[in-house]
Amino acid sequence: MKRFIIIFAVFTFAGSAFIKSQDVSQLTAQCAANAGDVMYLKDFVVKLDQGTPGGAPPTARFALLLSKNVVYRFSICSAPNSDGEAVLQLFDMNTLLGSTFITATGKDYPFFDFKCQKTGVYHVFISFKEGKAGEGVGIMSYVKKL
Amino acid sequence: MPKVFVYLMILLAVAVGSCKSGGQVKDAGVEIPDSVLNEGVEISEEVMQDIVQNISSPVEMAAMIKDLGVPFSNRYISPTDRVGNLTTSFQQSLNLGIYAGDLGYLNMYNKTSAVIDYLTAIKTLSDAIKVGQFFDFSTLKRLATNSKNLDSLMYISVHSFNQMDKYLHSNNRTNLSALMVTGVWIEGLYLGTQVYKTTPNKELADRIGEQKLTLEQLMLILEKYQKDKQYTRLLEELQLLKELFKSVNIYIKKGDPQMIEVNGELTFIGGDISIVEMTPEVLTSIITTTEQVRNRLISL
Repeated sequence: MKRFIIIFAVFTFAGSAFIKSQDVSQLTAQCAANAGDVMYLKDFVVKLDQGTPGGAPPTARFALLLSKNVVYRFSICSAPNSDGEAVLQLFDMNTLLGSTFITATGKDYPFFDFKCQKTGVYHVFISFKEGKAGEGVGIMSYVKKL
Repeated sequence: MPKVFVYLMILLAVAVGSCKSGGQVKDAGVEIPDSVLNEGVEISEEVMQDIVQNISSPVEMAAMIKDLGVPFSNRYISPTDRVGNLTTSFQQSLNLGIYAGDLGYLNMYNKTSAVIDYLTAIKTLSDAIKVGQFFDFSTLKRLATNSKNLDSLMYISVHSFNQMDKYLHSNNRTNLSALMVTGVWIEGLYLGTQVYKTTPNKELADRIGEQKLTLEQLMLILEKYQKDKQYTRLLEELQLLKELFKSVNIYIKKGDPQMIEVNGELTFIGGDISIVEMTPEVLTSIITTTEQVRNRLISL
């Protein structure tokens, strides 16, 4: 039901927008709806070129201020026309705290929850597997207070 | 019993302090003075934009207050009948943020009858600073007439605010974005402190104390525009709060992050824990000063 409502609303909302931004709006709305029964806070729209051979994959970085005792949900969606598959990672300084792709198991997840125990600045990194070019959107949502 | 996996996490941060923005922060027993953390810091335009666009949310404080079981009160929100008096882009941007914060609070409590006034105010102000194209007033107004549309109303309201913010960044109008974010932040702090007066609890007190971190980020951004007299005045107001927040201590207790998988869904738990310490006297001063500053800001 929630998904239906959001998609309906965005189709209506996007009517007056440009085609390009309509695509982004629809992808963002779909990704927010896929996050489940949570409250949308931020989106991170990403479009990256292909990386150079042997180099680090191009990565978009976003700073976030997260609050203690809140559960946040981080979701990732690749655009339908994206070459690469998007991966979202959450860092505190250089400590990896969460990822939608677990290298050890090779499994992808559409989202993960983060139980924040320290108020402070964190960073979301979005890249595309194997350094491919790609388009996608990450969503940060509020799940609940701990 | 759900299947639970605990994976090894990268532990590189052992040697790295992870709360650089805390004014007086004790990390692993080491106390770092405010002066070392902030003075002489210069941040690039890229980093500044990075910080501004994520510094404050129109709904997070309201969500926390609702989760605490505190009932709604319209005494906490700013009246909309003064919109016509807001004639400069400075006033319009700052108050756009304040009304966005109020809209988040109203939406959170499903107060759809009052929402229309705030939608109208935001529409007027967003048109005035030429970001009204991201605010679909007619759709939002239609959604607000039915309480069953709350999810959509919340989503489109917050998304519209984010779109305005992004547009201002991409058009070299970060000064107005900074004002919008400041408006959201001060209204959130005002809401939190006013609620604390009637419903005091430790969790809310901690959230108020943690605003020290946000204020430091915010002032770094606003200082870039301090040659403008209006920004100087705004910074003077925020400095009053900053002085009080100097007496708030935030400690970091180090810990290891964990990853848990339950029914195919991942949950990560941050290892470090922040702990806020402030005296009741400091908290009372913050509450009083926040009210004074916020009321002066809405009349700037």
